[in-house]
Amino acid sequence: MKRPKLRIFSILFVSLLIVTSSGIVFGSWYLKRLEETVTAKFEGPKWRFPSKIYSDSYLLYSGINLRSDDLLEKLRRLGYHETQSPPKARGEYHFQPSRGLLDIYLNDFAYPTEQFKGFPVRVSLQGTVITKIENSATGQEVFSLELEPELITGLYDRVWKERRVVPLSEVPPIVVKAILAIEDERFYNHHGIDPVSVMRAVWVNLRSGGVVQGGSTLTQQLMKNFFLSDERKLSRKVKEGIMALIAERKYSKDEILENYLNEIYLGQKGSQGIFGIWEASQFYFSKPLSDLTVGEVALLAGLVRAPNKLSPYRSLEAATKRRNVVLTKMLDDKVITRKQYDLAVRESLPHRELIKVTNDAPYYVDYLRRELAENYSNEVLTAEGLRIFTSMDLQLQRIAEKSLVEGLKKLEASYPALRRQGEEDNLEGAIVVLRPQTGEIKAMVGGRSYQKSQFNRVFQAKRQPGSIFKPFVYLAALMSGGEGGKKFTPATMVEDSPFRWSYDGQEWEPGNYNDEYFGTVTFRRALEKSLNSATARIARDVGIKRVRDVAHRLGIQSSLPAVPSLALGAAEVTPLEVAVAFSTLANNGVRTRPLAVKQVMNPDSRVLEKRDVRVEKVLTPQLAFIMNYLLKGVLDRGTADVARRWGFTRPAAGKTGTTNDYKDAWFVGYTPDLLAVVWVGFDNKAKLGLSGAQAALPIWTEFMKRATASTPITDFVPPPGVKIVEIDPLSGQLATPNCSYVLREAFLEGDEPTTTCPLHPGTPQQVSKLD
Amino acid sequence: MTELIALTMKIFPINLPERMFLVLALTAIVGAGSCAPRPLYRTPLPSTTAASPSSSASSPKISPAPPPPPVQEPARTPFPQEAKIREQNLKTKDLTTSPAPKETVKPSTGVTPEANTAPLPDDGSLLAKITPGTSPQRAASLRLTEEGKKLLEAGDPAKALSRLEKTIVIDSTNPYGYFYLAKSHYRLGRYKESLSFLDVAESRLSGEPFWLAEVYALRGENFRALGMLDKAEASYAQALRLNSGNRTATDAVARLQEPSQPTSR
Repeated sequence: MKRPKLRIFSILFVSLLIVTSSGIVFGSWYLKRLEETVTAKFEGPKWRFPSKIYSDSYLLYSGINLRSDDLLEKLRRLGYHETQSPPKARGEYHFQPSRGLLDIYLNDFAYPTEQFKGFPVRVSLQGTVITKIENSATGQEVFSLELEPELITGLYDRVWKERRVVPLSEVPPIVVKAILAIEDERFYNHHGIDPVSVMRAVWVNLRSGGVVQGGSTLTQQLMKNFFLSDERKLSRKVKEGIMALIAERKYSKDEILENYLNEIYLGQKGSQGIFGIWEASQFYFSKPLSDLTVGEVALLAGLVRAPNKLSPYRSLEAATKRRNVVLTKMLDDKVITRKQYDLAVRESLPHRELIKVTNDAPYYVDYLRRELAENYSNEVLTAEGLRIFTSMDLQLQRIAEKSLVEGLKKLEASYPALRRQGEEDNLEGAIVVLRPQTGEIKAMVGGRSYQKSQFNRVFQAKRQPGSIFKPFVYLAALMSGGEGGKKFTPATMVEDSPFRWSYDGQEWEPGNYNDEYFGTVTFRRALEKSLNSATARIARDVGIKRVRDVAHRLGIQSSLPAVPSLALGAAEVTPLEVAVAFSTLANNGVRTRPLAVKQVMNPDSRVLEKRDVRVEKVLTPQLAFIMNYLLKGVLDRGTADVARRWGFTRPAAGKTGTTNDYKDAWFVGYTPDLLAVVWVGFDNKAKLGLSGAQAALPIWTEFMKRATASTPITDFVPPPGVKIVEIDPLSGQLATPNCSYVLREAFLEGDEPTTTCPLHPGTPQQVSKLD
Repeated sequence: MTELIALTMKIFPINLPERMFLVLALTAIVGAGSCAPRPLYRTPLPSTTAASPSSSASSPKISPAPPPPPVQEPARTPFPQEAKIREQNLKTKDLTTSPAPKETVKPSTGVTPEANTAPLPDDGSLLAKITPGTSPQRAASLRLTEEGKKLLEAGDPAKALSRLEKTIVIDSTNPYGYFYLAKSHYRLGRYKESLSFLDVAESRLSGEPFWLAEVYALRGENFRALGMLDKAEASYAQALRLNSGNRTATDAVARLQEPSQPTSR
């Protein structure tokens, strides 16, 4: 009888031994793993600092024309808060419209070239003009003022965490005491897990029937925060507990505390997460930690439990209640005196609105990423906290996005043939905005919805420019003249009728729109009306190679086939190239390079990279002026004149672009200060069936109207060596009093007509020569 | 040489292509400097090179500079002319220690600079150009240009650049902004960029001989730095024809006589 029992026992004993030993082995392996995780978190690179992308700064100066609404909007986007009395702290502003006074307490800002210390200014406004800017502290007049760049987005890996690390020594003791009081009062006594608070939590939760109180120590919370996913399973809690014990064994209380204070999640600013008390202090109070009042400290401490639910941005009532709970605890624990308590409880929470961070210019950011990828790896960009300063103007970016999206919707509404079922192959468009003087890309929208399609049509889409290419023909004609030394001026009569161009053994017969031919017209008229035949004839006269060279010279980089049809835009270019080429004209013949990234700084404020404005004179200012003068006619009298009726009345030059097969619609238009190119079409090259004036011009007009609202009106200035005279466009000669239609035309000095109009004989009055 | 490169790279935090260019430019300067100083005058006989101002502009170019008043060329004897130079020099603000040699690099022009134009009054003050009639854009642009100029004089061309780039945004017709941008680039050793900005400055100036002379003189400095001494001399000559008191040109021409040292202007 004993033997079978013994066997059973020995089997049981051995199995128990095996189980126990494997348990020990597994257990110690598991513990080792946890320990490694803890060590890695504490000692390895703890935090990733996403690089930040900033817009261009905004310059204010006495005499500048702007809408006060725009300025206030800009301040709000920058995170300034409106106060009811003159601001006393950085990041506040106070507007008195009746007195025309705007007081702003400027923020500090670390620019690439200097550390700017914010000071209070008083801006005097008279209507839309800033009449004076004064340093409110010193009374000195300030002639120009830079408003700091706006944060567009962070280049983050998965989650955008905003954090500034502070050492424990820089945290005011009261902050530490407040947090400990409310979150873990026995922090210095336990070894990672606090059985007392666990038991109390269990008791309280049982009584209330739900999870009301947590029993976690600071250490446990820290372990929890080290993991991104927030699974509230028991197994996770056990894991956190073990790790807490490990951490407490390896690291000092101070180290744990410091990590905790920098790690905790304390709020949300749109897509940005606010982590760490330094960042929280800025986010809620725009103050450094050392300047916080007792009440403010209590508020922060209270937020740890549920930063979004208890946020003063969400509910002042809930936030105040929580703060008072913390204050009571602080009083009970003798962290503060009765007197401090009484004062703090009476502090009112500042009423602030949470600034909604809207979508962040994804197409432009993509373009920036590409530029940055040349020199910086993705790892560096998402973890090392570089600061990237760009040319982007967020206001113009918003206007551009809105104009494009609304414009495309309107087209679909007006032209049912453009509508598509479902999400695929929809009508698309692109808009890019440059500042001609510097080449800065102010705005870029590569499509109507980044969510749907990240393809950036501004610089990735190669499309046929069509008639938007024609100005290069006319410019080449002005520059080099035609065969046999024939000279072209804006008043030269050219022939618009069908013809055949033999080239390289091939023949080409360009046709006009609607088969309509105008016979003999001025050079100008042919361009304004975008006449194919006349343009092709001029191109043949000048030589297609010269036309190609001019296009390249102005800024087209794509290769262009030197064939006759190039004159009518049979090539492939991107909207960005078109923008660069025309901005050379807008900038008096000076070509610039497109500038998006301007400066890159590392977190220590060292400038890693600076991209300067580059200029190159490629055309004389006289020729550039004459081209601009011609292209103004496109808007005033030509294919784009409907823009004037739509309300865009400023002096501007432009060109419509339509392709032969109606697959692309373009418009490029510019004032001396702003240039915008719009393209509309289908990605799959479906037929659009609309001209540039029908499809692209409305979007451009809407954009320009909004973008230039209440900016000063500027016009192209004729340089010396240009003569503007009055001619009769029918004959191209000097106008007489009998000419029914008189036009001001610009000529290179010496090229102006000297004979009077033969069609309407008479003696010209002393023509007013403007220069 | 390598220390020079290392030092330069330390001072100027610029990216790789610009760094390489800077190194090349420095090499050019050092190389040019170590060559034997070339005589300013080649031969007493007039050269046949044209007197047209050297510029990289495309044709047709319309010269905005007012033609200097025609003057009979005096008989060519060195001493009387040198005496004349000395007198002229005394009139200019800063005296050069050695007599400024005559700018007869292109004697075929038949024009001697000193005899042509008396040194022009200093039109260098930008703030003085702000009058009640000045547009706010121009006024703001001029003030910023002045700030940029001061930064440049204080020896911070990088900061000056940032400031000056704003001036052309506010008012792209402001030629002085372009001039100081050119100067900033020159100070940073970017001679080609400097020349480009000078082209623009020139085309935006109209009828301001003092400033045109500054443009030509700085052009000369850039050419010299690039080792293009012929063009440099021509530019200095051009500057002095417009304004014999132009300091950059007179200093540079004086230095051309001595073994070259890096310019300090």
